Amino acid sequence: MTALWRIFRLILRTQPAALLRGGALSLAVLVMGVALLGLSGWFITAAAAAGLAGMGAVFDVFRPSAMVRFLALGRAAARYGERVLTHDATLRTLEMLRVRLLGGLVAAPYQRMVRLRGAQAVNRLTADIDALDGVALRLILPLAAGLLALLLSFAAIWVLVGLPVALWIGAGYLLGAALIFWRSARKTVGLSRRAEAASQAFRSRLIDLIRARRELAVQGQLVAQVDAVLAADDRRLVSQREQDRAERLTGAAFHMLTTLVAGGTLWLGVVSVQAERLEPAFAALGVFAALALAETLAPLRRAASDLGRMVEAARRVSRDLAAAPSAGQALVPEGAALQIQDLSLHRPLSQASILAAFDLHVTPGETVALTGPSGSGKSTLLLAVAGLHPVAAGRISLGGVSVADWDENALRHALALLPQRSVLMAGSVAQALRLAAPDSDEATLWQMLEAVRLADMLRARDGLDTMIGPRGEGLSGGEARRLVLARILLRRPKVLLLDEPTEGLDDATARQVLAGLRRILPEAAILIAAHRHVETEFADRVVRLT
Amino acid sequence: MADHDLSRSADAPAGSSCDWLAPGRGQQARAAGLAVLANLIWPLQAAVIAHALGGLLTGAAVSPVQVGIGFILLGALRAILAAKADAMVDAAAIRVVSGARAHIVAVEGSRAADSPFGGAGSIAALAGEKLNLLAPFLTRYAPARARVMVVPLVILALVLWQSWAVALILMVSGPLIPVFMALVGLAAKDASHRQMAEIGTMNDLLVERLSALVDIRLLGAGDAVVAGFARQAADLRQRTMAVLRVAFLSSTVLELFAAIGVAMVAVYVGFSLLGALEFGTWGDAMTPQAGIFLLLLAPEFYQPLRDLSAAWHDKATADAVLTDLAAWEAARTPALPGRGGAASPLPGPASLSLRGCVLPGGLRLPDIEVNPGETIALVGASGAGKTSALRVIAGLLAPVSGAVMVAGQPLASRNADAWRARIGWMSQSPHFLNASLRHNLTFGQGGSPDRALAQAAVSDVVAALPQGLAMRIGEAGGGLSGGEARRLTLARAIHRMPDLILADEPTADLDAVTARAVVDGLMAQAARGATLIVATHDSDLAARMGRIIRIGGDA
Repeated sequence: MTALWRIFRLILRTQPAALLRGGALSLAVLVMGVALLGLSGWFITAAAAAGLAGMGAVFDVFRPSAMVRFLALGRAAARYGERVLTHDATLRTLEMLRVRLLGGLVAAPYQRMVRLRGAQAVNRLTADIDALDGVALRLILPLAAGLLALLLSFAAIWVLVGLPVALWIGAGYLLGAALIFWRSARKTVGLSRRAEAASQAFRSRLIDLIRARRELAVQGQLVAQVDAVLAADDRRLVSQREQDRAERLTGAAFHMLTTLVAGGTLWLGVVSVQAERLEPAFAALGVFAALALAETLAPLRRAASDLGRMVEAARRVSRDLAAAPSAGQALVPEGAALQIQDLSLHRPLSQASILAAFDLHVTPGETVALTGPSGSGKSTLLLAVAGLHPVAAGRISLGGVSVADWDENALRHALALLPQRSVLMAGSVAQALRLAAPDSDEATLWQMLEAVRLADMLRARDGLDTMIGPRGEGLSGGEARRLVLARILLRRPKVLLLDEPTEGLDDATARQVLAGLRRILPEAAILIAAHRHVETEFADRVVRLT
Repeated sequence: MADHDLSRSADAPAGSSCDWLAPGRGQQARAAGLAVLANLIWPLQAAVIAHALGGLLTGAAVSPVQVGIGFILLGALRAILAAKADAMVDAAAIRVVSGARAHIVAVEGSRAADSPFGGAGSIAALAGEKLNLLAPFLTRYAPARARVMVVPLVILALVLWQSWAVALILMVSGPLIPVFMALVGLAAKDASHRQMAEIGTMNDLLVERLSALVDIRLLGAGDAVVAGFARQAADLRQRTMAVLRVAFLSSTVLELFAAIGVAMVAVYVGFSLLGALEFGTWGDAMTPQAGIFLLLLAPEFYQPLRDLSAAWHDKATADAVLTDLAAWEAARTPALPGRGGAASPLPGPASLSLRGCVLPGGLRLPDIEVNPGETIALVGASGAGKTSALRVIAGLLAPVSGAVMVAGQPLASRNADAWRARIGWMSQSPHFLNASLRHNLTFGQGGSPDRALAQAAVSDVVAALPQGLAMRIGEAGGGLSGGEARRLTLARAIHRMPDLILADEPTADLDAVTARAVVDGLMAQAARGATLIVATHDSDLAARMGRIIRIGGDA
């Protein structure tokens, strides 16, 4: 709940104007609707009374009927404005949340980023964001506008009809709606959580079924997995049925509330008129207004059933949203000798040691290859040097300053890491390259492409305008690898960390590419997590991890 | 007069070849009847109010208790009927959605190859969230459509009974709504599709950037990427809004006509009651009761149309889902021989022969004979059919022609499960289930995986994991190095002590030390008498096998 409130405050802070105007127009629509029906009821009853009394000729018909027309047209116009403004605000909210989310995750811890590589995690995140687009427009605004419309109607009915009817309508709707909303929301929050857990289980079991269908078939477990997938859906159905039932009960309760309030108003009106405390026309006004106020309840039914989903989504999303940028006073040192002293590292997300008491010094212009069996900590060491993996003990320093104390931007400028896996985004080759250095001219781009032996291939296609599909589609594994290398060269780092850089390249190309790297960066300290002979051969020195 | 905003008047949204909505149809029709019935209680409630307020004016005897209780009882009846109708459409929606879901799961569980429709993620999205989007169409749009067909007509008849002039007002403004909506609705339909497409595009852009987060961070391009994304998002929003502004005109036209209709009824009734207008009724002057009754009915005449227009979005969404379902249905693949269920191992020697086998893609496999206990390497260029040959041998893929004999009998659907119960399978790109490591090794079939872990030289890796065998490993072995994941798949393949082991590129992308550990593990299985067939590019591995069979080329 607090997370949801935080999200709402964020929305309110980023677009107060759109929300206030949208809210004001929602209120106008509701108030004009109540006024229209109340006035119409009063008008025809008063007209009938005048007609019966033979006073038809002196009854002022023009002001009420003009008012009726004004309210009718005004309501339609306000409705249009409300639709446009609230949809604009919804889209702005979606936009803001997505931008904030991206901003937050770009600065997130490395392990969180890695987890987001899976399509599942990303889909979940986007689904959560979609659930949150209605926080302001389907939850808070209707609640606020409905409450205000109710208070205004209460005041107007008090003045025109009298306190008993006003109290009956105002208090009846307010307390009744609050009670129904509270009970329904309390119920749906738990149900949404259970339904969401079951949906997650369904999704991940189905993905397992599809991705591992051959393993499962060989193990004779395919049928069991199908059953497990369906069992998860059955579990979701149980919550779904309960949710549906709760929503129906809420709907019926709101329905009964309207009926009770309107029926009671009718009874009060008839009694008051018969006691000659009230004109029939004002009794009619009360009844019609009570009926019209039912419209303020309509959005609450949906809001109550969506609340659970929103609370859950807000809880998950809010931790990833960008906080206000903190003014760190990090150091920006000069020089770039890489010094590793007495270093210990743990495996990701655990306390198990992967590297202990490790020392290494790499000078500018030197190439060092790290070798060792898989799981010996080569990749983890590179991540730690890049400041993306916590140091358990010891020290990694660059230019005499511990990497942990470097300013993030300065560190990324001085040091580049080629991870084992890279993801290319859709776009042209030039766009992919300029991600690293937005101001590079074409000659520079070609120079880097030459160095990684991609220039000829690209010239044969559309040059720098060659298009890459989502996730690097259209390039072979080796081509994508080299393009990523070219991109890193554009940054001209002082320290270059390469994790299995020649993966997917044949020996000859691998040799040429490595030589090309060194030609472009003669002064860089290069540290390679090597798994191929070509890579160790290229290095000045080989350090073996065990 | 329905379907003012649809180009077609069909019950089912467009794009479906198979009738996904059929299971809920009967229940839905009954629910629609109930919903209409619930709506038709309102004229009775209106009559109670008209009787009470009119009676106060004319001096007729009105019992406040009777009218109050009468109104409330009718309202309760209406609420109960509406809830019953809702319960029926909810049940129908659940039946449709879970029926479609069960169908998708069953089909995905019986494919021999990945669906060309898309990856596991997109199929899971279709079977999960997207199918759920059919529910609002079934529970909101369809009942609203049923109400539009009946309720306005009944109200019109009731109104006509009281006053032909009011009926005329409704008749003129009512049918005009669909006409105007059709005009503006053409734009609206386009706009709604556009809006959904835009939101989809924005999601795709975000997903792509999230997948590339690590690279963006490492390039120090975070701020630039966020700024670029913000620009694109703002641009999309502005374009979407420009279209939406036009689209909302259509619903405003509806509101406007409804509002003008109600206002005209109110003004006409007011003037009639004053005696200023003396036409429009059937002879006598209009009574106050009739006037109030008419005013209360007028908004209800337009309400079903407004409900339908509000639910239009649900229809557009359901259309999109059904289009996706049709695309999924059209993506056909060969079926898996057998069911993939547990079975007792097929008796007979672990021998096999392939004769004249042609793969579904048209590739022809060489004839292969393997005797029990042999070690075989399948070699050949990428794409020559090595992996497919392993699948045919494992009974995971049926050749379109040719004969596969296993353990002395033809391999067919009826014995495929039993044959596979004798096989250890090591695929090139392992997928770890979202479950504990223990389950990933034993597949819930009991037994301690320790022996298999030791033979795969991976015991100490498991011992070093924070939770050991209880550890959950991610989608593609996250948290483990590539070599560790590969050795775990070896342990998984040999856990059941199979007498035929099929391994696809067991040493690809491994450093020399790890590769040797994996090959030693495989050879240990051969040493205990198991038949071993590997598909490989690795000449060192091929050299350690007893026989090499070349696939593709001049074989």
